[in-house]
Amino acid sequence: MLDVRAGDVGKLELLFDRHHRALFHYFLHLTSNRAVSEDLVQEVFLRILKYRHTYQPETGFRAWLFQVGRNVHTDHAGRHKAEVAMPEQAWEVRSTDAPPDRQAQSRQEAVLLRRALAGMPREKREVLIMSRFLDLKYEEIASVLECEVGAVKVRVYRALRELSDRFFALCGERAS
Amino acid sequence: MICERVREQIPECLAGRLDAAARERLIAHLETCPACRAEVADLNAVWRGLGSFPEPEPNPAMRTRFLEVLEAYQAGRASALTGQAEGRPNRRWHWRPAWQAAFSLAVLIVGVSLGRYLAEPRGASPEVAQLQGQVDSLRQLVTLSLLQEQSPSSRLRGVTYSYQMAQPDAQVEQALLYAVNHDSNVNVRLSAVDALEKYAANPEIRRALADAVPVQDSPLVQIALIDLLVQLHDKQAAPALRRLAQDAQADVEVRQHAVWAIQRMEVSR
Repeated sequence: MLDVRAGDVGKLELLFDRHHRALFHYFLHLTSNRAVSEDLVQEVFLRILKYRHTYQPETGFRAWLFQVGRNVHTDHAGRHKAEVAMPEQAWEVRSTDAPPDRQAQSRQEAVLLRRALAGMPREKREVLIMSRFLDLKYEEIASVLECEVGAVKVRVYRALRELSDRFFALCGERAS
Repeated sequence: MICERVREQIPECLAGRLDAAARERLIAHLETCPACRAEVADLNAVWRGLGSFPEPEPNPAMRTRFLEVLEAYQAGRASALTGQAEGRPNRRWHWRPAWQAAFSLAVLIVGVSLGRYLAEPRGASPEVAQLQGQVDSLRQLVTLSLLQEQSPSSRLRGVTYSYQMAQPDAQVEQALLYAVNHDSNVNVRLSAVDALEKYAANPEIRRALADAVPVQDSPLVQIALIDLLVQLHDKQAAPALRRLAQDAQADVEVRQHAVWAIQRMEVSR
């Protein structure tokens, strides 16, 4: 990124190749929409190109990338307040070698879990996404969210706790 | 209290990030606390459930699209940078490389987008609007990027390039204003004054231009600013010009020019 900041913008292709999947998954978990997620990834890299001079190496590139991503998603959410994200059918659950009845149950649980996650407030959802799906370290999450590492620890726990409550509540509804 | 602190470590433990000593303490607590054991079981079920979510691959076209934009940006920037040698700008110098850069950029984007449009013939007008938006967005990108360069000649080209924006742009406007007030190179400041003429419909810009006159250290830039204010018939600038005309510290020519400007404004009243 330092080369990009210094004007060698061609190197941005390498950064794109290395990080666009993680960014895409971040947006996909937030929006549940592939096309929108791809557009937002594009927007993030355009902003990096535009604001490359503001990059501070102390932040670390991944943390900075997701800071930009977060801002891009905030802008997008502000423009599309009325739209409600619906989980897409296309990515329900990973296939396994389990017996068919177990697979059906897993699929059902995955749908409920996704619904529970989608129903959570954005702040809690994104801290879970960062820690579970993007494999960001707590230090990096703290940098993205501009808070202390201790606060991240508490936030991740509370978010997981809430997700668990929501998920088991949905399972209970389904069972009854 | 101890349970609360222990529970906050559960996600780290599930992610395998807890250090050995902390993990041992957690396990020791779980052996004696059924409530925390139940908590771990619940959270573990959800944590593992999240792990079963697939990670779909993004469409490869996304990469292609990004590389096209990056290429267009580099082409526009290179074209603007290789235009002419550094020096005092004049109107002809101003326009030629800018047209070339804008034209090459526009042709590239139009070509790419037209190719796609023809390949997938659906609705037309949103694509055209999007295309215009992309061209302007890239022009803005090139302009802002050049204005941040180290070399004065690059910044001059950034100012020049700003003329190609079809619509006035707030970020470019602020960048030009910043250049007028803070650029270390007088030529860049002079060019930025010229370029801001396009933005003069905005009263805040006119006020900022008037405020810039007394604080400029270059008489050339001060005179250019005064000329622009006269050209804009900005009568609200008259008090500032009167103060300048009476400022004994100001350059003599600037003071004379301020007097001339006040007279011109009064005549046109």
